[in-house]
Amino acid sequence: MSGPPPIEARGLRKVFHQATTGQAVVAIERLDLSIAPREVVAIVGQTGCGKSTFFDLAIGLEAPTEGSLRIGDKSPHADFDHFRGKIATVFQQDRLLPWRSALDNARLPLELIGLAEAEQHDRALTWLNRLGLSSFTSAYPHELSGGMRQRVAIARAFAVQPDILLADEAFGHLDEVTAAELRETFLALARECGSTAILITHQLEEAIGVGDRIVVFGKSAKLLADIHVAQWPKARYAELREMIQSTLQSNSPDPRLSQG
Amino acid sequence: MSHEDRGAVLGAKSLDLKFPRHTLVSLLVFVVCWEVLSHLAPTLGIPQFAIPSFVKIAKSFANITAADIVVTLARVIGALLVSFVLGLALAMAMYRSGSLEKYLHPMIRLLMAVPVVSWILFAVLWFPGVEFRIGFVLVVVCGPVFLIDTLDAMRGVPRELRHMMRSFRPTTLQFFLKLMLPAIVPSIFTSWKVNISLAIRVVTIAELVGAVTGIGHQLSVAQELFSVADVFAWTLVLVALLFLLEALVARVETRLLRWRA
Repeated sequence: MSGPPPIEARGLRKVFHQATTGQAVVAIERLDLSIAPREVVAIVGQTGCGKSTFFDLAIGLEAPTEGSLRIGDKSPHADFDHFRGKIATVFQQDRLLPWRSALDNARLPLELIGLAEAEQHDRALTWLNRLGLSSFTSAYPHELSGGMRQRVAIARAFAVQPDILLADEAFGHLDEVTAAELRETFLALARECGSTAILITHQLEEAIGVGDRIVVFGKSAKLLADIHVAQWPKARYAELREMIQSTLQSNSPDPRLSQG
Repeated sequence: MSHEDRGAVLGAKSLDLKFPRHTLVSLLVFVVCWEVLSHLAPTLGIPQFAIPSFVKIAKSFANITAADIVVTLARVIGALLVSFVLGLALAMAMYRSGSLEKYLHPMIRLLMAVPVVSWILFAVLWFPGVEFRIGFVLVVVCGPVFLIDTLDAMRGVPRELRHMMRSFRPTTLQFFLKLMLPAIVPSIFTSWKVNISLAIRVVTIAELVGAVTGIGHQLSVAQELFSVADVFAWTLVLVALLFLLEALVARVETRLLRWRA
């Protein structure tokens, strides 16, 4: 089985120019980051640290200003079409199409990759069933709760059986119980499908709870810490949380993190 | 309450909601006022023929010819379809290409600023065929409205939805077919309603000049004969036609937009 390709960012830099003043804003400053196939990585950082820019670069909607971001031997931006059906996303808001039923929303990416009609239907239905929405396949988004809508969005992402899954603050807007439940489902499904998963979050508990690795971004997506969670016993999670917090506050790595 | 009972109550409620009570009352008030004015006209120094009674207007309805209604209707629907297709296609091209939009936008605004009467005069001077003249005037008046409405609607599609869609890597055609067009359907219906009303008014003026068929032509004949009753009858037909077309559009709209809360 081939499995998903690795993700490599080398000297990645992204600069935006403000539309009104023309002033340059550095969103990502020379980022080096490697993500192994099937790894589940949580990226944490404060607002404005470049997490979402990294997300857009990883899905190929933005081009790097300098440096490179490659998935396997291809660029998600330059080789945009190559990744059709290979990268899927879950966003903070469900971003369902309001004129489509839950089933039709879940089958959207399957339509885009040109799957046969019957297979689109079966696959979308299977994923909705797996996410506990078998009784709501015909419901329109406005007829569903926030949690249910996010489940449809997750079904939509998994329906293409992607190599790489990216979730941008996907559970942050839900109540704690629903968020924890969905996070668990999302991770279980990602591991089962063998996808590489990148979760962008500002919630430290979420990052510690889900990631094989936690990548801590400082301002301008400076890599402040790269933590392999398995190396930390569960009993020290509170301490780990505190270290990440202090790293984020000082915008420099907490020395205790390197001591492990 | 049984399921059937509840259904019956809901049915009665929806019937009640559909009954156009307010419209009928306001129409009735208008009819009564007109009729009173018609009888009082001579005492007010207004010639009797200027405000004909409804009996006389009803007699004029006997002169209404279905062929003229069909011709006008066909001109309106045909021109609206052509205007819509052209407007939508150009809007899509302008949405895709910023530079095309920069060049075309001033031209579209210019076209929209030209009075309908000027277009009619241009059409008479430029084209020999009556049908082409009428079609040209309707398309040149309604097309830009469709274009501007659909372009504005496309720009109004939420960034989040466009971002989500692009993340799944659609082709340009898929992007328009799966996202942009369904997203602007509500605005398209609004634009159709505006344009139906506009087209009915414009076609009447266009038919007044040079046409030998259609409601506009019949209005012109009625004017030559000093028959206010005929003018009134044909005007009522036009208004009924407008309401009928609007009702049809509203029906399709309700059906297609049933996903709305």
